[in-house]
Amino acid sequence: MKDNTMNEPTDNVATNIEENAFSGQTVGTPLCDDAKMSMRNVNVFYDTKQAIHDVSLDIGKNEVVAMIGPSGCGKSTFLRCLNRMNDTIESCKVTGDIKLEELDIYHPKQDVVPLRARVGMVFQKPNPFPKSIYDNVAYGPRIHGLVNRKYDLDEIVESSLRRASLWDEVKDRLHSPGTGLSGGQQQRLCIARTIAVSPEVILMDEPCSALDPIATAKIEELIAELSQKFTIAIVTHSMQQAARVSHRTAYFHMGKLVEVNDTKRVFTNPEHELTEAYITGRFG
Amino acid sequence: MDKLHLEKHISHQFDVDLEELKSQALEMGGLVEQQIIDAVSAIEHGDSDIAERVIKVEDDIDLREVALDEACTNVLACRQPAASDLRLVLTVTKMTRDLERIGDEAHKIAKMALALHESADGLTGYEEARHMGALVQRMMQQVLDAFARFDVEKALDVAKADKQVDREYKSAMRELVTYMMEDPRSISRSMNILWTLRSLERIGDHARNIAEHVIFLVKGLDVRHSSIKEMERQLNKR
Amino acid sequence: MKESSENLNAIDLVNRSLKARYRAEKRFKAYGIAAILFGLACLVILFTDIISKGHSAFLQTEVYLEVTFDSDRLDIDDVSNSAQLMAADYQGIIKAALRERFPDVSGRRDKRTLYSLVSNGAGFSLREMLIDDPSLLGKTVGVWLVADDDIDTYVKSRGDNPEDAFTGRMSDKQIAWVESLMENDQLALNFNTTFFTSGDSREPEQAGILGAVMGSLFTLIVTIVLSFPIGVAAAVYLEEYAPRNRLTDFIEVNINNLAAVPSIIFGLLGLAIFIGFFEMHRSIPLVGGLVLSLMTLPTIIISSRAAIKAVPPSIRDAALGLGASKMQMVLHHVLPLAMPGMLTGAIIGFAQALGETAPLLMIGMVAFIVDIPGGVADPATALPVQIFLWSDSPERAFVERTSAAIMVLLAFLISMNTLAIWLRKRLERRW
Repeated sequence: MKDNTMNEPTDNVATNIEENAFSGQTVGTPLCDDAKMSMRNVNVFYDTKQAIHDVSLDIGKNEVVAMIGPSGCGKSTFLRCLNRMNDTIESCKVTGDIKLEELDIYHPKQDVVPLRARVGMVFQKPNPFPKSIYDNVAYGPRIHGLVNRKYDLDEIVESSLRRASLWDEVKDRLHSPGTGLSGGQQQRLCIARTIAVSPEVILMDEPCSALDPIATAKIEELIAELSQKFTIAIVTHSMQQAARVSHRTAYFHMGKLVEVNDTKRVFTNPEHELTEAYITGRFG
Repeated sequence: MDKLHLEKHISHQFDVDLEELKSQALEMGGLVEQQIIDAVSAIEHGDSDIAERVIKVEDDIDLREVALDEACTNVLACRQPAASDLRLVLTVTKMTRDLERIGDEAHKIAKMALALHESADGLTGYEEARHMGALVQRMMQQVLDAFARFDVEKALDVAKADKQVDREYKSAMRELVTYMMEDPRSISRSMNILWTLRSLERIGDHARNIAEHVIFLVKGLDVRHSSIKEMERQLNKR
Repeated sequence: MKESSENLNAIDLVNRSLKARYRAEKRFKAYGIAAILFGLACLVILFTDIISKGHSAFLQTEVYLEVTFDSDRLDIDDVSNSAQLMAADYQGIIKAALRERFPDVSGRRDKRTLYSLVSNGAGFSLREMLIDDPSLLGKTVGVWLVADDDIDTYVKSRGDNPEDAFTGRMSDKQIAWVESLMENDQLALNFNTTFFTSGDSREPEQAGILGAVMGSLFTLIVTIVLSFPIGVAAAVYLEEYAPRNRLTDFIEVNINNLAAVPSIIFGLLGLAIFIGFFEMHRSIPLVGGLVLSLMTLPTIIISSRAAIKAVPPSIRDAALGLGASKMQMVLHHVLPLAMPGMLTGAIIGFAQALGETAPLLMIGMVAFIVDIPGGVADPATALPVQIFLWSDSPERAFVERTSAAIMVLLAFLISMNTLAIWLRKRLERRW
């Protein structure tokens, strides 16, 4: 009898997951009232291949939204739409509405430079410029002409490094190269560099995938602190990380947004079968 | 999300771990179910041998509870289960506690059986005990079945059956009180039977708890402290 | 049981094949070492040959003569009159000095043979002396005068043993005079400054490479000034801005093909366009530089593109993600990071251009030019062309000069490569 109960659902699972080419309707709560960024019916194409299918999602003010999903599900592509980093890829075409508050970021007349000053980005691999720590942080304010005096620039550098909780570690060697720091410190330097421009939204594309657990923990702690001032969207491969840092979690599957829900809900009782299968580790 | 499954993890060892948890819980449940049957039949037939056996097996149940708790801790620590896996582990930990309590109640009933055996006279109240015993035993069987099959309907039936047990208990109590008023000599014996019935009623409550855990396991809904109607409404909503 | 015996067999097989594998590996290493040794040997032979032939060109035989600056014979009455100084017959006082040294020589023929002991350019050095120090007029001073190339060859080949000497066109009398001069220590080998300070000449003892060096230098400057900025700009546009389409593919293929086009074709192109169409002068470094620019451009573009491609995309992402414009990204990050690679490629291209002969032949930089060029519009020749010219000359003294010129060219190339390495190291350390 026991064997029967074990085996019976097995077949169902196999058919369920494979047959379930997700219908398209996102389950859960993709929208929210106090939206900082709102995406409506976003489609992304690479030439003729569609990478994102009709995704609608809101990112609330001071909210941390985690985007999870199997490799190639389009979560990074979607994230890169939010500050038009996809512009660098020629074949990439984006349709639908993406708004930063009232600003239509894909408006033909919208310049990407001010947009990226408002929506910063932290990348997967720590990528400090091969310059000094100071110059790394000061680069953004310099190119945007945020400050005129050296004193003000020093101020920004210090406060950014402090906010990235890196100041105490590097204050004595601000002028040594940023590439000489450890991986975790480099990533925090990149975060400091991003927040030095005072963006409103920070996009993070798997910021901890190249880091050890201690450095990861520090970044996660940092994310929690930053969420008080910034709106954060984070793409991560680590579900545990999504569970730890985010308020809401969005699950992408094959370019579609399957489920968006409260993180606690997603990790205890996800609404959609595909989400369940992914977060419990059942994709074969 | 109607079906719940333990298999198909990428890590086969995880499947094995979870199934091990489930089958151990079911084994413990089976053992506890047998304890109820034995305890009730010890009362019924005044069989001290069976009662002694129930008392002995109780230690085994305690050991199993400890072992299962350890297994659950290991899965939590090493696998960081999420969603249904997490709910399964949580359900098993809660269920073991309820099962252990049920074991304790069976143990109490067996002790009553020994006491009744020594002062063996008259058969009043045994009928009620046997009736209620059969009821809770069926509840146990059903709830274990519900757990084994992740069957919400059956779990709901168990919750409903608990109401019946409560009613039975109340009417039996009234009857016994009448006896005691009629025949003060039977008070001590009647009290023993009353305690037995009370234990059975407690077992029913624990069975209902397990049924609620099963609903949580399958549906992710916490239906504790809500009426049957409320439960049904919530379940229909999902 | 069966399994364990199989395992045993496997490890036996491994052990058995081990020796053969190590032998194969040793052989493999030996091939590599042999290849390197072969290359080194060739290089050593080449260098020994060039140096053994050419080192003597840095020395020049000179004759000691007591020369009287006779104002009558020189026909100078006013030393401040430069016209008189220029026109004076210095060769005459040398001849007089020679007659004095060998008083027993008589007859026109013998005298002419005697005069040919000294280079017919030696008079110029006397003029220099007189211009430097006018008080010499009327005095008699001992001077070292450049000997004729035949004497030079004779002295250099003679060594300590008169039997080995190369006599060539020399008569027995000349040999006797030379021997007598040598006995009196009036013939010596001194450092050959002429070789480094004068232009080409028909007379080997008066021929120098400065003209060719300057010509090469001017040509190279034109090449650098033109091809590096153009090459880098083209590479940046192609890598960072150009859309990927048929046109850019076509351009890319053509650039790669141009890098493989024989250099003489570029010479023809230069001849047709710069000289034929734009009517620039022949033989000038400007045209040479233009032609060599055309030739180096593909190399520079290809190496610059490779260097730009090698800049990690994460750096571009970082800059763009901060809101840098594309130009800021290129100027602040991509170019500085790609610079060492671009410079290395460019300098290798320039070194190649420096050693190039064929296209220069086509645009007339092969002419015999005595004057040292003073700018990009003066007729000039280039080092490799000079080598080519000298190697063709019949005088034996040009053999050693050819080798010496090759040494100078090699020194140039080595110093350019050193510069490339140094620049790369320095620029890389800055980051």
